[in-house]
Amino acid sequence: MNRAEGAAREISRLDMLARRDQRVNRIHPLVKFLLTVGYIAAVVSFPKYDVFGLLGMMVYPIATFLLGELSVRDAFRRLRVVLPLVCVAGLFNPLLDQNRVRLGDVWISAGVLSMLTLMGKGVFSLLASYLLIATTTAEALCGALSMLRLPEAVITQFLLTFRYITVLLEEVGRMTQAYALRAPRQKGVHRKVWGPFAGQLLLRSMDRANEVYESMLLRGFSGKRFYQRQRTPLCGRDLAYGAFWLALFALFRFFPVLLLVGGIFL
Amino acid sequence: MREAEIAVEGVSFGYEKGRKILKELSFQASGTENIGLIGENGVGKSTLLKLLVGLYPEFTGTIRIGGMPVEKKNLAKIRSQIGYVFQDSDSQLFCASVDEDVAFAPRNYGLPEAEVERRVERALAMTGTLHLRDRKNYSLSGGEKKLVAIAGILSMSPDILLMDEPSAALDPKNRRRLIGILHELPQLKIIASHDMDLILDTCSRTLLMADGRIVRDGATEEILRDGELLEAHGLELPLRLQGQIEIMSGKMRTDIL
Ligand SMILES: Nc1ncnc2c1ncn2[C@@H]1O[C@H](COP(=O)(O)OP(=O)(O)O)[C@@H](O)[C@H]1O
Ligand SMILES: [Mg+2]
Repeated sequence: MNRAEGAAREISRLDMLARRDQRVNRIHPLVKFLLTVGYIAAVVSFPKYDVFGLLGMMVYPIATFLLGELSVRDAFRRLRVVLPLVCVAGLFNPLLDQNRVRLGDVWISAGVLSMLTLMGKGVFSLLASYLLIATTTAEALCGALSMLRLPEAVITQFLLTFRYITVLLEEVGRMTQAYALRAPRQKGVHRKVWGPFAGQLLLRSMDRANEVYESMLLRGFSGKRFYQRQRTPLCGRDLAYGAFWLALFALFRFFPVLLLVGGIFL
Repeated sequence: MREAEIAVEGVSFGYEKGRKILKELSFQASGTENIGLIGENGVGKSTLLKLLVGLYPEFTGTIRIGGMPVEKKNLAKIRSQIGYVFQDSDSQLFCASVDEDVAFAPRNYGLPEAEVERRVERALAMTGTLHLRDRKNYSLSGGEKKLVAIAGILSMSPDILLMDEPSAALDPKNRRRLIGILHELPQLKIIASHDMDLILDTCSRTLLMADGRIVRDGATEEILRDGELLEAHGLELPLRLQGQIEIMSGKMRTDIL
């Protein structure tokens, strides 16, 4: 199995994961979506040297992993392609920012602190998004978006994109396989044919995507009916769950909880 | 079941200007027969089937399904009566699991969940794929995919079935299974294929397409035995009949000797 095929399978697996009947999966998708947005906003807005404050935000992903009985290892394995990209962002900070800041009794390089903060922000945001996807199906998410009165076209587009990604990846798989069979000693696809390869891929995946869409239409697909079936009313438990976490986010964002707790014990 | 009926009259169509694929094509079909649609590669068999379900609205002439013209305002109704099995099952199976894919159409038609359940079960049973129910689509073999794709259409309870090259990518065992299914299903069917043996086994009537028209419309037995006619249109005798004819000519030679 080559990489693209593997990716297509991964997406199907994620889809299955999102369909499990776990407590977190049952929370209303709209609440989970808004929580994720709120979480990322809180994480991203931390001051650039506040690593310790940021660490407190780990509570949310940790709790969700536990509640959802999700594998942390799988999460990092799935995110291994994007994680380094997120981390690279802060890599030059220690060189660019030569200041020092005092932390208790020790002086620390400000550049290192800001690098860690930036990496933390990236990793946490990524984890939160992953957790949303791993506990909520694309259809349920679309239902939630439609409750926010987002335009129908946008929501249908989102749903189809999710479906097409697998299609695109499968096509990549088929083409690289066909290529590899005729160029057995090469690793990957030679740079010279990237152009035509990408062109072919685009045409073929457009054809395929078009057929997938046709087959959906022929079986009575209308975006609206499809995701509106997923619309369920918000209940008290959902609201309580949302309110609890939002309060916690605010707490960790505006008070140095970890330092205070640490201070009590030290 | 409602009376199934297809009426195509003087239909012309081309994907690009100046290059007509169908030229004033006409034929009629009704009842519950299996109709074979044969013709050289690229002659427009798939195109014709797609026109019947209104995927390409820019044709001239008239197409009626169950008396309703294929027009935008009738499409929803028409599509709920016609099932289209794509040549490439991967185009059809886009849900994660078999179960969900087969339930896709009845759910879209807003049926209550209990009825959806009942239909999924019946469709899977008809295609002998009940045991695949909880499998993920990507883990199926080519033959299993095809059978599940057919189940995904049967769950709509269509009056008419259109099948594009249904036996392509099937191994002999699954091919026999497909033939069995085609015999059992009560719908009016049009089966586009260049698998002449499949047509011979399942269809009582055959339409031969050439140059954008139906050039021959008649009993399958007659058309598929006409080696000259087939050859003139880039087709070959069914393998089974080829054997018979070779044996016959062999016999004749021994007779001569
Ligand atoms: N989407 C399309 N755009 C342009 N031309 C097409 C398209 N689909 C098919 N064709 C052309 O139309 C002709 C008929 O194709 P098709 O109906 O697939 O034939 P068949 O199914 O009999 O092999 C072919 O020449 C093909 O290249
Ligand atoms: Mg075809």
